[in-house]
Amino acid sequence: MTKFKGTREAFAAALMDMAEERKDIVLISPDSLKAMRAVPFGEKYPERYVECGIAEQGAVDTAAGLASAGMTPFVGTYAGFLTMRACEQMRTFVGYTNLNVKFLGVNSGLLGGEREGVTHQFYEDLAVVSSLPNYTIFTPADPAQCYQAVKKAAEVEGPVYIRAGSGREVDVYHVNAPFAENGITVWKEYGTDAVLFSSGFVLDRVIKAAELLKEQGVNVTVADINILYGNNPSDILKVMEKSSQLFTIEDHNINGGLGSYISRLACENKPAHVTRIALTTYGESGPAKELADAYGFSPEAIAEKVIKTIQ
Amino acid sequence: MKNEQIHEMAQKLRLETVRMVYEGKDGHPGPALSIADIVATLYFDTMNIDPGKPEWEDRDRLILSKGHSCPIVYAALNERGYFEPKVEHFNLRQLHSIFQGHPSMHSTPGIDMTSGSLGNGIAIGAGMALAAKAQGKDYYTYVICGDGELQEGVCWEGINTASGRKLDNLILFVDRNGWQSYKSVDFTVGHNNVAERIRAFGWHVQEISGHDIGAIKSAITIAKSNRGVPSCIVCDCVKGKGVSFMEDNNAWHKGVPTDDEYAVAVKELGGAE
Repeated sequence: MTKFKGTREAFAAALMDMAEERKDIVLISPDSLKAMRAVPFGEKYPERYVECGIAEQGAVDTAAGLASAGMTPFVGTYAGFLTMRACEQMRTFVGYTNLNVKFLGVNSGLLGGEREGVTHQFYEDLAVVSSLPNYTIFTPADPAQCYQAVKKAAEVEGPVYIRAGSGREVDVYHVNAPFAENGITVWKEYGTDAVLFSSGFVLDRVIKAAELLKEQGVNVTVADINILYGNNPSDILKVMEKSSQLFTIEDHNINGGLGSYISRLACENKPAHVTRIALTTYGESGPAKELADAYGFSPEAIAEKVIKTIQ
Repeated sequence: MKNEQIHEMAQKLRLETVRMVYEGKDGHPGPALSIADIVATLYFDTMNIDPGKPEWEDRDRLILSKGHSCPIVYAALNERGYFEPKVEHFNLRQLHSIFQGHPSMHSTPGIDMTSGSLGNGIAIGAGMALAAKAQGKDYYTYVICGDGELQEGVCWEGINTASGRKLDNLILFVDRNGWQSYKSVDFTVGHNNVAERIRAFGWHVQEISGHDIGAIKSAITIAKSNRGVPSCIVCDCVKGKGVSFMEDNNAWHKGVPTDDEYAVAVKELGGAE
């Protein structure tokens, strides 16, 4: 498989590949075909591309109607326009009904929204979706994983939300790596001074932080969480047991995402000190890398936080 | 079914609705009675359905977008034979009842879509109609919404999608009874000209009496003969139709009859005294 430019290209490629074999796959666009890099899909499968216009609530409803009649619709657009503007439709007509609708929310986090500014950066999506029963939540860390996540979503029975970016994601996974069945992928096992859990497109930064820490004699384990609030957290719990110092790093608000999830698992299963590195404010415009650095996601800032906490 | 028989069935559904609300001590009788004739025509004449196979994939679909009117649909499903044995006491809105306060597709056999949160039925119906086209099926999707409900912006998103995608297998009934929860639709939006509004969005629109069975039947036939655009049938209805003290009295948007009121309603609807 070739590398993808970004998660949106990965989404479009996965859809194209699946549509070849599965006639039930439909793409719902709230005027997002260009944004989703899916123009070729619309051209190749005009009968399976539904343009709903700039209208996310109606688009989600339309997807629910399609799913109720046996189709498998994918709705792709900016994460917040789905999870906030169309939140009630995602809850009542897809979640409560447990219909087979798949969502891809792009521009998630500072890294995803970058120069567009706060109106197009979304760091609340996971908090919203994680409170909706029946949803499966995938948080791929790079374009290759996004491709796998989209294909995996089509196999899951029921609603799926995939958190995606906008093309600034750093490739970390092998291009053919499958999507982790059990929701976790261990990346570094330098030691057990701490475990660093990463979610989404900050993974490369967390790995670099672990390397910096190693140079300073602090040996940590790094794991990427691929599925949030999944049905079977046993593999995640095993990694949590490695240390009493747990850290979560996510380009999302501090509430409702990875930090909340790991805190809950620690409280319910194995008490540990959990430090959450996440957003506590709204962001601003700026180039992706500098923006992430400015808001506390540089490898140096992550490493410093770990050292200050465990000492 | 003959028009007179459908009328009698509509009266029976009204009676069952009032009984359901009276026994359950909760519900919206006015909005349900308003659409009894439309619902009776659809379930007993128009729709291609099989009560023995509520999940039949080629069936016509109905979305009750104004979901609070659900007692009339529950009554129709019961009379049509969806429940075995036939339901005697609906236990509307009671704990563990299959008859939820608003329609739930996984609770009640025959309910094609969950509804109740106003405004969503048209866009969902567009999705069902699109699925039919994608799958090469010839079923129709019917949606019933209220005139007040059309204040929800998402209605117009669905109306746009239906015209944009040329969904001539989607038929929308608007129950124009002129009322909403608090006051009249005229008071709220200035002018209840839903027909002109929907026509302006590119739909084929008819205006009829929502209590004239023959007119409802004819309008459906005309709607089906129209190709390339979705169809809307604006039905002038009387909220609370069939029970004298409920008719056009918005106090019965939601309410439970007293014993005496119930006795009057039963008598007027031709029930056993």
